[in-house]
Amino acid sequence: MGDKSDVLQGTLDLMVLKTLESMGPLHGYGIARRIEQVSGDSLSLNQGTIYPALLRLEQRGWVKSEWGMSETNRRAKFYSLSRIGRKKIEEETENWERIASTMARFLAPSN
Amino acid sequence: MEWIRVLLSHLAAVVRWRRLDADLDDELRTHIELAVAENIRSGMTAEQARTKALRAFGGMTQVRESYRMQRGLPGIGQFGRDVHFAIRQLRKSPGYSLTAILTLALGIGGVTTVFSVVNAVLLKPFSFRDPDRLVIIREVEKEALRTAPSIPVNYRHYLRLKHDAKTLEDAAIFQEPGFSVSPSGDRPQIVGGITASPNFLRVLGVQPILGRDFAESDAVKGAPPVVLLTYDAWRVFFQRDAKVIGRSLRLDGDRATVIGVLPPGVRFPKIELAPIIAGGPPLEKLIIRPLIPDPYFLKTDEGGFNFSVIARLKPNVSVEEAASELETLQRAYSASAHLPIHLGIAVTPLAKDVTSGISGALWLLLSAVGAVLLIACVNLANLQLARAVAAERETAVRAALGASKGRLVFARLAESLVLALSGGVAGVTLAFGGLRLLLALVPANVPRLNEVQVDLPVLLFATGLSIAAALLFGTLPALRSLRVHPQAALQSNSSRSVNSQEGRRTRNILVASQVACTVALLIVTSLILRSFSRLMQQDRGFDATHVTLAEVALFAPRYGDSKPNIAAVKLAFADRAMTGFGQLPGVQSVAITSAIPLSGETWVDDLTRPDHTVPPAQRPLINVRWINPEYLSTMQIPLMKGRNFAASDRANPYVALISERTAREGFPGENPIGRQMSNIVPDSQKSVTVIGIVPDTRINGLKDTADMVYLPYWAYTPWQITFLVRSSQPSSDLIPEMRRVVWSIDPQVAIPALKSMDAQLDESVSTERFQTIVLASFGTAALLLALLGVYGVQAYSVSLRRQEFGIRIALGSGRATLIRLALWQAAVPVLLGACTGLALAGFALRFIRSLLYQTPVLDPVAIGVSLLVLLCAAALAAIVPARRAASIDPMRALRIE
Repeated sequence: MGDKSDVLQGTLDLMVLKTLESMGPLHGYGIARRIEQVSGDSLSLNQGTIYPALLRLEQRGWVKSEWGMSETNRRAKFYSLSRIGRKKIEEETENWERIASTMARFLAPSN
Repeated sequence: MEWIRVLLSHLAAVVRWRRLDADLDDELRTHIELAVAENIRSGMTAEQARTKALRAFGGMTQVRESYRMQRGLPGIGQFGRDVHFAIRQLRKSPGYSLTAILTLALGIGGVTTVFSVVNAVLLKPFSFRDPDRLVIIREVEKEALRTAPSIPVNYRHYLRLKHDAKTLEDAAIFQEPGFSVSPSGDRPQIVGGITASPNFLRVLGVQPILGRDFAESDAVKGAPPVVLLTYDAWRVFFQRDAKVIGRSLRLDGDRATVIGVLPPGVRFPKIELAPIIAGGPPLEKLIIRPLIPDPYFLKTDEGGFNFSVIARLKPNVSVEEAASELETLQRAYSASAHLPIHLGIAVTPLAKDVTSGISGALWLLLSAVGAVLLIACVNLANLQLARAVAAERETAVRAALGASKGRLVFARLAESLVLALSGGVAGVTLAFGGLRLLLALVPANVPRLNEVQVDLPVLLFATGLSIAAALLFGTLPALRSLRVHPQAALQSNSSRSVNSQEGRRTRNILVASQVACTVALLIVTSLILRSFSRLMQQDRGFDATHVTLAEVALFAPRYGDSKPNIAAVKLAFADRAMTGFGQLPGVQSVAITSAIPLSGETWVDDLTRPDHTVPPAQRPLINVRWINPEYLSTMQIPLMKGRNFAASDRANPYVALISERTAREGFPGENPIGRQMSNIVPDSQKSVTVIGIVPDTRINGLKDTADMVYLPYWAYTPWQITFLVRSSQPSSDLIPEMRRVVWSIDPQVAIPALKSMDAQLDESVSTERFQTIVLASFGTAALLLALLGVYGVQAYSVSLRRQEFGIRIALGSGRATLIRLALWQAAVPVLLGACTGLALAGFALRFIRSLLYQTPVLDPVAIGVSLLVLLCAAALAAIVPARRAASIDPMRALRIE
């Protein structure tokens, strides 16, 4: 398990947003599973940590939620992107790419 | 904008936490169920599926906790829990909580009420532009300094000062007459008003919201009469008619055109002409007219000191700088114009001038009610201390479980805060009612009373006060919890006895400080009471009972001063009115005078004698009154020497009665009868001859006598005549009859005052009565609180010593000895507090000396009675629990704990 990395603060938010963008409205478990599937084995994610993240996004108004029924016929909260959220994905993606490329330049072998 | 949304959702979460917690539980349960279902589908047993699901989820509790942290406000949660716990604890002892909240409500309510008056009257700035730069200017006549510290302004001197002064931006001159206003002209009412130079509003920095300000051309003799209305006058007389400009109003019988309306909230405070000269009644000023000075005022340098002046200082000029410049100008003028008098100047900031009469009394009341609140806080501190001791074991458990010191202190402080804020809310509610009560008591001549209300600054003050009170009575008990040693408190099975000794010292200090405040307050109260009773009970020199007074103002065109024969017209009116009054049932005598009794000094003049030249500095100042022969019998003033006026004087009315003081100061070592006085009758060069001497009376005000000179109204009839009617009928019956008589003679004259002489007497001492009643109730409240405090502490200390008392009784100690023991324990802090209180009172008395009338601040009766009352109350409060403790059954006492 040693080569798995913890989720960077702020990264999880973008992952959640991207998941909702591609999958549409989804409950917490669905989001968690999707992130696990996409990242494969390279990420160790405690599924529970997405709930504070979802709350944070909801408080900012990037994500909205609605109560519905799960496949197991239970009360479940379904999350979807808000209009602000859609706009924010672009911003956050750019932001992230800029950081990533900056980091890449640092990490590249100097010539 | 995003932060607002975030904050709102945090706040919403604080309120709805219960519901949101349930939602989160649902959501997490569904999550686990979905995971379990998926795991089972992939072939696991139910047991394995559940374990795997929980493992993948991570720590359930941590997630919940971090979710809650994200949801609530940082720190608020903790705070909320402490407050919540405190409320639960307080609800367990409702009797205690209610008493505490009620005590605080009364204290905070009282302070808030008095503060709202202080705020409006003394603290709130005037609604003028830069009110700090406005000053009231009066002249000083160096020769008359002994009798009059400052005098009103002479018109010529105003013009010169306004022209020459470099420290003044501008200055306006004005008078504050009453106007008789009426839509039709008949049965007019008197309203307050101002006649002012056209620049008056510009000096104040006020602009009309409708129409225009005065122009120089409005203040020229012969200009069409114009008038500016205040917002209230616009409302009352024109029902806020938007087209009011150009409409007219009957003022003193003449039509005047409205040219402008002032903004709402602009109110003009009453400016007294000079400290010793009383102005008219405190009417709200509704109307402003341009001042057109009489030619006489433009010529005289030595008379005509009849005006008020308000000036605006240039920016960054201090009052002292302006005063010293004006003083120099006045001195130079006195010399260059060869005046027989030496002029000086007195400059007072507007706010200080307006409130000088009442600020002392108001601050005294605020300190007194503050002292009451302080005593209440000390009471509560004692009670909270006892609760903190009782909760010691709980505190020890918290400390043992690792609570930080801050948390320990706050947990206890939260209780005090809950009490204080509840008390504060209740107190503000009480303040609304208290304010109505206070305004009913407060004398009508207090400036700016119409601005008193519970507004935002007052509410902020009340909130701050509540928090301060909580800190005051909660800190000591809260800090105590720091001294709790976990294991000591947990081991001891009676933690109370462990700490009782050091707790006792704290309690004693609290009782002593409470007693000190009470003693000081009681001494101040009894001094004010003594002063008031002396004021009311001294010999006045006249008898006010069964007398009804009517002031009639001859403000109608037919009494205009340019009319021919005006003297005869006024005289005829006075005679007809007196005949009319004399025919009313039960009337014994009818008198007239030129000033309402007990309304201060008016018509103040120098006493000049043709046979005896005295330099101006040594001439006594006299009050001139125009009366009829029945005046003496109506007011029941005896004649001491000489004779009264008689009908035979009517043909040659140049005779005078003088008071003893006038005789003493104006005719020292002489017999004044037969002597002459000059320059006294307006528009006449004739001297008058003294024919009689009457005793000194307190006719201008109960506090002092004056040098009175009485002249017959046949020589001069004033425009404002006061009729005094002595009758066996009650005033309430007489008043409508008198009004009917006046208006049957002439419906166009105004009746500014119509009341019983007793009512007038009451009004004249309304400030003193107000401070006496309010202080007496604060003093009583303080005494009751101190009584409660001493009782509470004594009951508590005695209950701590029950076991000890039981042992003493078992060993053969007598009841009397035990009571003495318990009393002695209570006596130490009370006596200590009483001594401190005496010192405190000594300090406070320096400030109240000016509020006392003929009462020495070291009045032994007042001080002795206060101490005695307090000691008796304290003894009573201490003896009840002591007796109870001494009658304890030793067997039961020994079984306690």
